[in-house]
Amino acid sequence: MKESENTSGRRKFLRNLSQVMGGIGAVFALIPFLSSMSPSEKTKTAAAPVEIDISKIQPGTFKVVAWRGKPVWIVRRTDEMISNIKDNNNILSDPESSKEHQPIYAKNKYRSIKPEYLVLLGICTHLGCSPTYKPDNKSTELGLDWEGGFFCPCHGSKFDLSGRVYKGMPAPHNLEVPPHHYMSDNIIVIGQDGEDV
Amino acid sequence: MSKFMAWIDQRLPVSSFFRNHLSKYYAPKNFNFFYYFGGLALFIFILQIVTGIFLTINYKPDAAQAFASVEYIMRDVNYGWLIRYLHSTGASFFFLVIYLHMFRALLYGSFKKPRELLWIFGMLIFVLLIAEAFMGYLLPWGQMSYWGAQVIISLFGAIPFFGESLALWIRGDYVVSDVTLNRFFAFHVIALPLLLFALIYLHLAALHTVGSNNPDGIEIKEMKDSEGIPRDGIPFHPYYTVKDIYGLMVFLTIFMFIVFFLPEFGGYFLEKDNFVPANPLKTPEHIVPLWYLTPFYGILRAIPDKLGGVLAMGLAILVLFILPWIDRCPVKSIRYRSVSYKILLTLFIISFIGLGYTGMQTPTTIITWMGRLFTLIYFGFFIALYYMSPNEKTKEVPERVQMDE
Amino acid sequence: MNKISISVFILIVASSNIHASEKLTLDTVRIDLNNKPSLQRGAQIYINNCLGCHTLQYQRYSRLVTDLGIPKEILQKNLIFTSDRHGQPSKLGSLMINSVNPNASAEAFGIHPPDLSLIARSRGPDWVYTFLNSFYYDQQRPMGVNNYLYPNINMPHVLWWMEGIKEKSTGTDKVSYIVEGNMSDREYKAAITDLVNFLTYVSEPAQLKRYKLGFWVVSFLAFFAFIAFLLKQEYWKDVE
Repeated sequence: MKESENTSGRRKFLRNLSQVMGGIGAVFALIPFLSSMSPSEKTKTAAAPVEIDISKIQPGTFKVVAWRGKPVWIVRRTDEMISNIKDNNNILSDPESSKEHQPIYAKNKYRSIKPEYLVLLGICTHLGCSPTYKPDNKSTELGLDWEGGFFCPCHGSKFDLSGRVYKGMPAPHNLEVPPHHYMSDNIIVIGQDGEDV
Repeated sequence: MSKFMAWIDQRLPVSSFFRNHLSKYYAPKNFNFFYYFGGLALFIFILQIVTGIFLTINYKPDAAQAFASVEYIMRDVNYGWLIRYLHSTGASFFFLVIYLHMFRALLYGSFKKPRELLWIFGMLIFVLLIAEAFMGYLLPWGQMSYWGAQVIISLFGAIPFFGESLALWIRGDYVVSDVTLNRFFAFHVIALPLLLFALIYLHLAALHTVGSNNPDGIEIKEMKDSEGIPRDGIPFHPYYTVKDIYGLMVFLTIFMFIVFFLPEFGGYFLEKDNFVPANPLKTPEHIVPLWYLTPFYGILRAIPDKLGGVLAMGLAILVLFILPWIDRCPVKSIRYRSVSYKILLTLFIISFIGLGYTGMQTPTTIITWMGRLFTLIYFGFFIALYYMSPNEKTKEVPERVQMDE
Repeated sequence: MNKISISVFILIVASSNIHASEKLTLDTVRIDLNNKPSLQRGAQIYINNCLGCHTLQYQRYSRLVTDLGIPKEILQKNLIFTSDRHGQPSKLGSLMINSVNPNASAEAFGIHPPDLSLIARSRGPDWVYTFLNSFYYDQQRPMGVNNYLYPNINMPHVLWWMEGIKEKSTGTDKVSYIVEGNMSDREYKAAITDLVNFLTYVSEPAQLKRYKLGFWVVSFLAFFAFIAFLLKQEYWKDVE
């Protein structure tokens, strides 16, 4: 007779085993589909490190290059600009760069390997806009105490010439420094740490 | 849990749906091997939808980029090769399963009263599936994709008066081109799948209205016990769910073996010439559609006249729609039908497979004549059946179903 | 390991059946994608002799490192001859293309040399192997050679320095050479086997993973089918 409520031990065991196997099978079946959506070989190639010749950048100006499709700034700071970068402990949000938004070799007040060249990811840490470069400390456009730096037009976040965010800004932390190293005096490789790291 | 289900059931008939269609849906207890294929067809439909979605993520419906984007999927996308092989092998297996599913209907008379509408929905699904497969085959933009589409669309040109304009309208260009590729992509990924989905729903709704036929061709609903349950019926769940899981696993074992070890299947699932990008200036030496369309292609080539060939091919499919009115024998299952029907059906299957073979070969004299013979048998089956079926010498049909084992 | 190569072999044989209408009977080449040294030698022959004209436009150099185990440094130093549009050597991740101007090559050979990424799939490995073995001396042709398998081809016999140049076959087994190559017949056949092996890999790099993964998937499913069978039998005890 039909009695679907028959629950012998064997039946229970086989049912549980089938359910477990079905679950395992389903999880493994998901892997190829989910994995196919992560970056492909082509995308990874496009995301490879880029080499930049920095000798042509005039002091005080900057150059934008694309790395992984994002803007990366290379700012060549003048001696005056470098001397303008102070500790400013009371008005900066994270003057010591204690939070990890830069490689270890950029954890200093210049946030760079050599003070002269600053390499920054040109993306505001607030909501992803690209800030503008405002080096002129004599301009009063951004207030009388402006010492030069970066200003995000989207929501008004201000950063100093090392990309450190001022207190009370919408942006939660300093601009990010991408991994980079000097291949020679004139060539910077962006997207790759140096070998001694 | 039961509180939660009660909350849901007040708002959505989940439990009653489960009861009506699974746990208290009674199916004949004597289903045999041929009854796996309906469920398997549904599984493949879902597989094709899922793999299709993931292929569209990386595919580019552009004549300049399509071929390269397929190779990109095969090489650069993680597991892209697997997803593509699942889709291409799935297409061939869809037809294999559907043909066996249809053959089952011929064996046990599943298209007969009261299941005529069920059969017609099934036939519509089959026709749409042909269109779906044909359009999908253009997308890789290889030589076979291109010239296959060129040939098949030209068939419409055989229709008198407006044929040429119709072919032009379908292509949207004077030859198969980027324009054609783009619209076939739209039809293949959204229009036809939506229609198929709707028709599969209707097919299942009709099935659950009349109930399944079975290898004995007996209506189990006519023999009910005191509680109104068919004496020869068993609840679909759990009995047929566990049986179908078993069937699915055997199927998947074979299917995955082919996906991983023989995805080209010796050129029958993925043709060699399709690994050459489409070249509108050079036709490959040997153009054939994929194996599942060759029986109909065989009929097309057997007729020595363009229009006649196209009409015969169309008729070969259309005649199946009216099969419930051609076969007028009251007995459903082949088990209780005459020897003549068994011979006729055998000849029909031989001619169908034979046409599949001749449709695939280079047309020599022998092949052409074989094709003609098979075409005659193919249509002869329906004519003979129409006249023979009303006065067939049938055996007595038992009252209750017979178990195989 | 052996099982895999056997199934590869069966696959090759099975897939070569469909185009049986070739005029010449094709020689059979033994493909073994597990033979990494052979694939590496094949890659080297290809890059040194073929890549100058025939691109592998879907293949990335980096896959030669990950799939074939060619060390990165050796690849960059000895095998990447091409450069990108800035004049820098091609990046590891770039595609194996060349800088031949299609118009110039079409003028030189009458046709732009085709890309060979998929040649082993569209023609089959046996065809490529037989083709490479079918060059013979023919004064009438602009390149001085002709090919039994592909008559009147406009391609020079690039590997002549390996094989030498054969005289047209007179129907006997004895092969005589107009020019001697630096390899014996046997060595040459081994070399082009490596080359065809490499091209077979390039035509579908997934093959290296496909067979290994397939073994586990099919085993799992077969076991699941067995359990499902027991489950079905258990439930169907209820049915009279």
